[in-house]
Amino acid sequence: MLRNVWIVPALPLAGFAINLFFGKRLGRWAGVLASVLMLASFAVALGLLADLVRLPGDHRLFVRHLYEWISVGSFRVAADLRVDPLSMTMVMVVTGVGALIHVYAIGYMEGDPRYGRFFAYLNLFCFFMLTLVLAQNFLLLYVGWEGVGLCSYLLIGFWFERPAAASAAKKAFVTTRIGDTFMLIGIVLVFLRLGSLDFTHVLVDLRKIPSPQLMQPPGVYTVIALMLFAGAIGKSAQVPLHVWLPDAMEGPTPVSALIHAATMVTAGVYLVARTHVFFEISGVALTVVLVVGLVTALYAATAALGQDDIKRVLAYSTISQLGFMFLALGLRAYAAAIFLLVTHAFYKALMFLSAGSVMHGLEGEADLKKMGALRRAMPVTTAVFGVGALAISGVPPFAGFFSKDQILAAANQTGHVFAWIVALAAAFFSALYIARLIFLAFFGDDRTERHAHESPPVMTVPLGLLAVGAAFGGLLGLSAVTGRLQTFLAPVLGEVAEPTRGLSEASLTLVSVVVALAGVLLGWFVYGSGRIDWVALRVRLSSLQRFLAHGWYVDDIYAGVLVTPAKAASAFLAYVFDLHVIDGMVNGLGQLVTGLAAAGRRVQTGLVRNYALAFLVGAVALFVYVGFRL
Amino acid sequence: MRTPISYFLVVSALLFTVGTVGVLVRRNALVIFMSIELQLNAVNLALVAFSRMHGNLNGQVLAFFSMVVAAAEVVVGLAIIVAIYRRRRSADVDDASLLKW
Repeated sequence: MLRNVWIVPALPLAGFAINLFFGKRLGRWAGVLASVLMLASFAVALGLLADLVRLPGDHRLFVRHLYEWISVGSFRVAADLRVDPLSMTMVMVVTGVGALIHVYAIGYMEGDPRYGRFFAYLNLFCFFMLTLVLAQNFLLLYVGWEGVGLCSYLLIGFWFERPAAASAAKKAFVTTRIGDTFMLIGIVLVFLRLGSLDFTHVLVDLRKIPSPQLMQPPGVYTVIALMLFAGAIGKSAQVPLHVWLPDAMEGPTPVSALIHAATMVTAGVYLVARTHVFFEISGVALTVVLVVGLVTALYAATAALGQDDIKRVLAYSTISQLGFMFLALGLRAYAAAIFLLVTHAFYKALMFLSAGSVMHGLEGEADLKKMGALRRAMPVTTAVFGVGALAISGVPPFAGFFSKDQILAAANQTGHVFAWIVALAAAFFSALYIARLIFLAFFGDDRTERHAHESPPVMTVPLGLLAVGAAFGGLLGLSAVTGRLQTFLAPVLGEVAEPTRGLSEASLTLVSVVVALAGVLLGWFVYGSGRIDWVALRVRLSSLQRFLAHGWYVDDIYAGVLVTPAKAASAFLAYVFDLHVIDGMVNGLGQLVTGLAAAGRRVQTGLVRNYALAFLVGAVALFVYVGFRL
Repeated sequence: MRTPISYFLVVSALLFTVGTVGVLVRRNALVIFMSIELQLNAVNLALVAFSRMHGNLNGQVLAFFSMVVAAAEVVVGLAIIVAIYRRRRSADVDDASLLKW
């Protein structure tokens, strides 16, 4: 039945086509149709997963050839779908979480004038995302990669009447394009080096001990790995290309949950995991991944502390969690990265949707300062958000605890003690910012200016299901070595070795839990206990608060260092160079001809006798010339 | 004794010069026209003289052609001159200097 894998992306594509052309006429049913198709896609994916598990471990790879896509000389690319444990894990996340978010959006987007178009875009996104994860070669992956970028642009700018949304969409598109361009260069290099873009060829060729001439020139794999990683940096919003993600929160909340938390931004993690062979050959590239992930995890966790917009807190939190994933990839703990990806998809989608529920209940208010005591008006939202918060802060037995703990353990046990300490600090800040969020929004004094109300069941039921995932998702991979997900992924990502160094499992777990609880407790003490006047504290630390709220002023630095000079250069080229030099050349040529003509036309007197004289002079000259030459 | 060819050529050159000067200095279109005829006939005379010198008829044949062309030219040219005169009441070529910048 694995042959039917094409149905999984085909269903959302069909939904896109129907909603694009008939979305207006379908009215309310547009959302139902899109959700049903996603649920059907999820069901098909479940069947595929069952088929895949039934195969013996080493044979869990199936390539569905669809058609020959490009064939030019030795350059052949087929539209093939690859079913293996890694791609199936991603498919389950995309279809499962995606379907729940679709259902939620039925309620959230109700009354929007472009209701049908929203679901068309959402379905198109799922199609491209599934293409991305199911692709069997780099080029098809790149198609999905660019496609999700396009959908991200369309959906961030869905409410394009608001200038902030329109410019955020542009920013996201342009920023990720920087990474994508590098990635395309990387793909071209892969083809030049290995003569194929097919994953099976490329990765198997490399995993065998590569022949010496395949390794020439040295460093080529470092370049390829870094180029691919640059694409991942852009898409997964890592430092230094992270600036688009907080602004992307201008989009509707289901979009933030689906694209900017659960699926699209994790494409970079998937890419690095998929092509980890390049990174291992290079070595240097692995270190780069580790450092970028570590820096991002800590940076974004601190920046999240300063945000007042509930969605921006979660956006920085997403960046930080993605940093954790890249940290794991850099530590060669690929399965741990994917494990965090899966659990993060659950709890971050849950928290975004809960935040959407809060905004829905408060008529669009997203400012934490104007919330408080929402637990009375919104008990369900509060409960599920609490589950998500416990999961992300790493309190056992929720999902985030297991996944994050494994990454921290991997850092310690591979001897990266410094990375381990920094990651612990990031984990501490994670617990702190999420505690701050939850105590400001749901507990304490009621600072709301509007009457809050709980969301309808069409929104709370998906929340409940995601909360189940966030609470029990950890069961997928209880142990870094023998966990269910880890052994499932082993054929693709390699076996996880028993740790030999570092602290013992138990003491590492203890440290993680203590750090997480310390963060939560500090958050409670400052924002929840009522013993500290956090408003006064905020005023006292206003410069620090502003520093964090502006994300360490990275945007302002970019504006000063990159945007302003670029604009000045453009202005120079447009108003000085083009206007005077280019146009000057063109106009100058015209003026020269006009001037010559003005002088030359005086020859034409119109007097017949002048012409006759000219004839005579010419004839005599000719005569003299011929006569003397003879 | 045959008349030497140079006699004919001198007469032809004189005629041609008279014609040329007439074309350049006179302003009446009809007189210019007659001067052009003078030039053409000077050439015809030279052609016939050369024909006689060489002892064949090539030059004479060419002279006939030139006469025919001159006749055709006179027809067209006089028609234009008459048309211009009717319109502008003047046969002065310096008045008809419209074909310029």
